[in-house]
Amino acid sequence: MVNLEEIKKEAKNILEEGKVKYIIGYAKSSNALMAAPTFVKKPEDIDKLIWDPTCFQNLVKFLLDEKRKKAREKEPDIRPVGIFVKGCDSRAINVLLQEKFITREDVYIIGLSCEDLGVLDEKKIFKKLKGEEPEKIEFDQRKNIVISTKEKTIKIPLKEILAERCLECTSSFPVISDVFWGDRNNRSPKEPFKSLEQIESLSQEKKWDFWQQQLSKCIRCYACRSVCPMCYCDECVVDSINLAITADTTAEEKSQKIKWIEKSPESSENFGYHLVRAMHLAGRCIDCSECERVCPVDIPLRLLNKKLEKVAKELFDYKAGLDPEQPSLVSSFKDEDPEDFIR
Amino acid sequence: MAEEFEPKIIAFLCKWCSSAGSDLAGVSRMKYPPNVVPITVMCSGSVSPLYIFNAFQKGADGVLVSGCHPGDCHYIKGNFYARRRIALVKELIEYIGLEPQRFKMSWVSAAEGKKYTKIIQDFVQELKPLGPQKKLRREK
Repeated sequence: MVNLEEIKKEAKNILEEGKVKYIIGYAKSSNALMAAPTFVKKPEDIDKLIWDPTCFQNLVKFLLDEKRKKAREKEPDIRPVGIFVKGCDSRAINVLLQEKFITREDVYIIGLSCEDLGVLDEKKIFKKLKGEEPEKIEFDQRKNIVISTKEKTIKIPLKEILAERCLECTSSFPVISDVFWGDRNNRSPKEPFKSLEQIESLSQEKKWDFWQQQLSKCIRCYACRSVCPMCYCDECVVDSINLAITADTTAEEKSQKIKWIEKSPESSENFGYHLVRAMHLAGRCIDCSECERVCPVDIPLRLLNKKLEKVAKELFDYKAGLDPEQPSLVSSFKDEDPEDFIR
Repeated sequence: MAEEFEPKIIAFLCKWCSSAGSDLAGVSRMKYPPNVVPITVMCSGSVSPLYIFNAFQKGADGVLVSGCHPGDCHYIKGNFYARRRIALVKELIEYIGLEPQRFKMSWVSAAEGKKYTKIIQDFVQELKPLGPQKKLRREK
């Protein structure tokens, strides 16, 4: 069992000793169903921290901001940052370490196991509530969730409202950590890629209809990119910084700039953006499904990334984020890689 | 009578093998369909998935990526990287519902002009019944 009091004690200790600059954790927010990220800098604020299935956000994204902030400072504080990680988040840290974007000394990882559970899926709960606003939630012995709204109180088994990724999770505990709470039991879900089955079984035309319908909804707000811990390029292929077009760019210069993907939210451009993003995340996506959660138009983005995760597993026996020392998927190869599709 | 549909193929050929292979087909006066637009790249490993998606966006009916045989790469291992990456692209393209026949990869050495003509002939034959590629094409 993860004991919150012990975590707080440890957090307080490391803050008092000055081992870490600050701790990125979860706190209660105005939304009963969602814990908010919080930054604890002083030991007296430690009581803000919480740990329960509402902590579904991936905090690893904040490490990227921290790195950029450090690069701008003249005399940066080089102490590590304490961070709460779940199983999936820890794999994100592993990928960042693997790509040498951060170093191990930059982070103090407070690992928390989801054990036999996982985190909530807000959208699933909203469906159950049928439009009512949740006011208070309680967890009843890690089995049920009791949600109180203005009019009624309902009890739902936790298993029914866990995020899809948690149901398909194979390692619900952090694979890398400095301190750790909970158990380290590997889960073996019967069908780790069950969510893909429905689309995979469709005919070619039906598949197209599905994705066409989904991706043409995209308004190109780039929330998926902003929330993704793996999307840390300074310059993205969809909006150039170095090749930006300003008021005094001449027509001649403009004509020489390559635009791979236009910004307009049209079907073809949206496919361009999402396919490229999926390719860039191949072998890197750790399935935190934050992209899908933040999508304002509910595009099932997780299914794109999950597909490539499955391909990587089946064709190349590769799983992202398990080991910071392993070579990345697309910068390595094996002699026995399949080539039956090549003439 | 309506004209028969002629597919347009974009072929990314590596400079050292496949491009030389297509040259050989040309100088040997071998006959093959004129539907292909060859683009010479330095290595099949330098073909970004973006090139492939962009070719489809610009209206290609089929895309071919061709490089040296495994072990023959001028840069030692570029085509091994390509093999992995293209496998991912191929699966992704199929998953979103584009016809898998529209995207091909091949190994063509500088001596295989004959094989190159055969690949293009077969590719054109496969693309003809599919009709024009409109799914990823830009509407302009």
